Amino acid sequence: MAVKYKLLKAIDISGLSFLSPVVRLVTGEEPAKQVREIGRFIVVPVVAFLVFLWLWSVLAPKHKTKAGEVPTPTVVWDAAGGIWRFHERESAKESAYQLTGPDREEKLTAARARLGELDALEAGAKEQLDAAEASSKERFDAIVAPSKAAHEQAQATARQSRRDRTAALREKASAAASSPDERSALLREMRAADATAEVEKAKVDALKDAYAEAQEVAFPQVKSARNALTRLAEERQFLVKYIDMLSDNSREAKVAVAKQKLDEATAAYDSAAPDADLYKLGGAVLKRQELLATTEASQYAKPWTLPKQIVRSLLCVFTGFLLASVIAIPIGILCGLSPTFMAATTPFVALFKPVSPLVWLPIIMIIVGGFMPDPENHWLVVAFGKVPFIKDYKIDPMFLSSAITVALCSLWATLVNTALGVASVDKDHMNVARVLRLGFADRLLKIVIPTALPLIFAGLRISLGVGWMVLVAAEILSTSEGIGKFVNDMYTNGSSQSFAQMFVVVFIVGIIGMLLDRIMVVFQRLVSFDTAQAAI
Amino acid sequence: MDQTSRTTLRKLAAAAVFLGVATPVTHAEKLAVEKDALKLGFIKLTDCAPIVIAKEKGFFDDEGLQVEVTAQSNWKVLLDNVITGNLDGAHMLSGQPIAATIGIGTEAHIVTPYTLDLNGNGITVSNSIWEQMQENDPDLDSDTPEHPISADALKPIAEELLAEGKKLQMGMVFPVSTHNYEIRYWLAASGIHPGYYSKTDVAGRTDAEVELSVTPPPQMPATLEAGTISGYCVGEPWNQQAVAKGIGVPVVTNYEIWKNNPEKVFGVTRKWADENPNTLVAVTKALIRAGKWLDETDASGKLVNREEACRILSQPNYVGADFEVIKNSMTGTFIFQKSDVQDMPDFNVFFKHDCSYPWYSDGVWFLTQMRRWGQITEAKPASWYDETVKKIYLPEVYKKAAASLIEEGNLTDAELTKTEDGYKPATTDFIDGLGYDGRKPIEYLNSFEIGLKDDPSLAGK
Repeated sequence: MAVKYKLLKAIDISGLSFLSPVVRLVTGEEPAKQVREIGRFIVVPVVAFLVFLWLWSVLAPKHKTKAGEVPTPTVVWDAAGGIWRFHERESAKESAYQLTGPDREEKLTAARARLGELDALEAGAKEQLDAAEASSKERFDAIVAPSKAAHEQAQATARQSRRDRTAALREKASAAASSPDERSALLREMRAADATAEVEKAKVDALKDAYAEAQEVAFPQVKSARNALTRLAEERQFLVKYIDMLSDNSREAKVAVAKQKLDEATAAYDSAAPDADLYKLGGAVLKRQELLATTEASQYAKPWTLPKQIVRSLLCVFTGFLLASVIAIPIGILCGLSPTFMAATTPFVALFKPVSPLVWLPIIMIIVGGFMPDPENHWLVVAFGKVPFIKDYKIDPMFLSSAITVALCSLWATLVNTALGVASVDKDHMNVARVLRLGFADRLLKIVIPTALPLIFAGLRISLGVGWMVLVAAEILSTSEGIGKFVNDMYTNGSSQSFAQMFVVVFIVGIIGMLLDRIMVVFQRLVSFDTAQAAI
Repeated sequence: MDQTSRTTLRKLAAAAVFLGVATPVTHAEKLAVEKDALKLGFIKLTDCAPIVIAKEKGFFDDEGLQVEVTAQSNWKVLLDNVITGNLDGAHMLSGQPIAATIGIGTEAHIVTPYTLDLNGNGITVSNSIWEQMQENDPDLDSDTPEHPISADALKPIAEELLAEGKKLQMGMVFPVSTHNYEIRYWLAASGIHPGYYSKTDVAGRTDAEVELSVTPPPQMPATLEAGTISGYCVGEPWNQQAVAKGIGVPVVTNYEIWKNNPEKVFGVTRKWADENPNTLVAVTKALIRAGKWLDETDASGKLVNREEACRILSQPNYVGADFEVIKNSMTGTFIFQKSDVQDMPDFNVFFKHDCSYPWYSDGVWFLTQMRRWGQITEAKPASWYDETVKKIYLPEVYKKAAASLIEEGNLTDAELTKTEDGYKPATTDFIDGLGYDGRKPIEYLNSFEIGLKDDPSLAGK
């Protein structure tokens, strides 16, 4: 039983209250009620999500624009697979570069064997594509031919009749020079001819549109055959590079060459005749040593992949969030304590709170850039470059600008909530403190902050949510590596996969945002005395 | 053969036997690069190929360089990143190093040792403009109209709009980009005024009959479809993308506007070049090999490596467009309409026609266009053109790299560009047939019907 209540308490604190009926049901507490609750809090949301998926998969194919199709859930799932494959392949190359000895040989043999298999597979896929293309070409011609013929014929007739009409009118014009009546009749006829031409043109245009529409016909089997071939070709591309990284271009091979060169240079230096240019030979040895050292430390220049970009975005949002908290909480406390200070701050809060991150970012980029004329050697960047985990994520001015933008946009919620929390401290508590003659620090730490904590955390939770939303926009604009940069890159790629990849990002951003929110809920409930339900 | 060389030969043979190897090429000393981990920027266009290929085919590795290649969102960001040092070097518009050095837009001394490619752009108009052009010129109303298509059929459309108090809107990618000068050239060749820049008019619309605006390349098709612009000049794959999506019709390529015109360059800052001279030569070597690889042909003249290059470029971290779309232009064909597929073996040139050498005459051409349209606000003497371009183009770095490649056996002497003064011979390969000689910029400027003209006496100064 003790376990049950502990579990229920944990569920309550984490705000996952939809799980508590499950626990109660398992322990046999009011089964009928629990089943009803499960139905409401678990089954209904799941069904709603399934309905959403179903609607999406039905409606998406119906909406077609020239810029691309709205991807269906399956396509999005495939795109997620593609993003993951890209990540795995790049990671494989990275590790291949560092492999040594028998491991390397083993991988090399496996990769070569797979490359051998690919030949047959690719030939097969090519054949299928050719067959699909040939058959679709036939069908395409069959579909398009009637409308094409109709259009061409109508065009030719229209031209011919126009020419005929013009010739006839010209003839009349040369004959009709005498009377005014005839002249006005001629004008009428010319106007009529123009109208006929308009009608004919409209007809031709309609046929032309029909012809263009017929050309739009799509052949799914060609598309799938092409996708299959593309996937194999991409694998070949990967394997060729992978094998290169395992053999000639592996670090082991490069180090071996560098070592040999160093040995040669050392030998030349040691065995040189006394009258030889020792200075020059010594220089060569030193240079060789340096080259060997850089080769040994060299890394595969791996492109950024989504998983790594996600981590960098998280780092960035937490940097910004930390900065926002460090600024907002003290100012908020001061505001809450002193109405005068509050009055002084209010205009700034009112003025800067509504400013969009897209406006802040360029301004901050200029300011940060001014402090870092030579970013690579700036002390801050160098310092971050020495921190074990963070150094892999290249802290640069763009990262700092994005983080500061996040801070500037998200600090307001914390500031306002903190001020509110501090201002609402019970007067009696303060009076007691005065009676007890508590110092300022004691009053702050023992009364003010503990009372204000729930509201401070409520503010922090909103701040983190805002920060996460702002960050993606900031990264798109600053091209700082992260989720935003990924979205921007996919958008600029404009490939058939782009939209699906952006949908994947929607879910990733959503899920991470949700998790961040949950974490803040837990903190908020841990410091709260009340038992009110956390909002979802 | 004299005695000494015979002994040398014998010694060499003995050495070869002693080493137990028979390498056909002698590997020259690897350059001692000052910096071995580089970050290069590019814009998602197929003409970034030499940089991507040099990385993927290991040419950078061979020079001892570990290169990270990162996409930039637009030319302004790219240039700023090069200037601030976030990037070591980048894929740049030919006009960018020139404009930055002489102070049009952001001012910074940028230099270039390598021309990445020739040609590769096109002008696309929307379907409705194309239909109106076909009405104006019935010869165009065909599944395979005759090329090159001039802007003559566009002129009545522009005039009609002017009469209504509106102006035809067209897009280009950057104020100092080749695209801007090409679309201006194409329009002006048919008597349509694209507008002057001046000190106060930085949008370049003074006297304009057609208004040009800046749109980032990837957004061109969407902007065209939305109707904000009626046409654009851009690099690949964005013209073929318009055909693939059925939203526009490419009417002319820049190969037809000026045959084998320089397009993109590899740019670094002067400061970086001074601090890393060996690295710059090493990068140039890798780029030359990449260009050569891209233009390799078999006996029948078919480009053999382009398909692989397209596969590489279609990776999401590079150009990222669909393989089929990239392939259209990169493998020597260009699709004007679905019914009009033309062979254009020289649509993308990366090495042949002495492409990669940094020609002074190319730089001077851009300077003349900047003056023609008023981006250079003051008249300059002919000598200024020569001096300016010599501050920006670095053929000496190119020559050093090429010599080193020849020594290694990766380049033959026949493939080396040979020139005395760094200027290409005079040419008349333009859509309007005007002659251009880089040594005579003032005469060239004064030969245009539309454009600013300078005092002829400046030619001798």
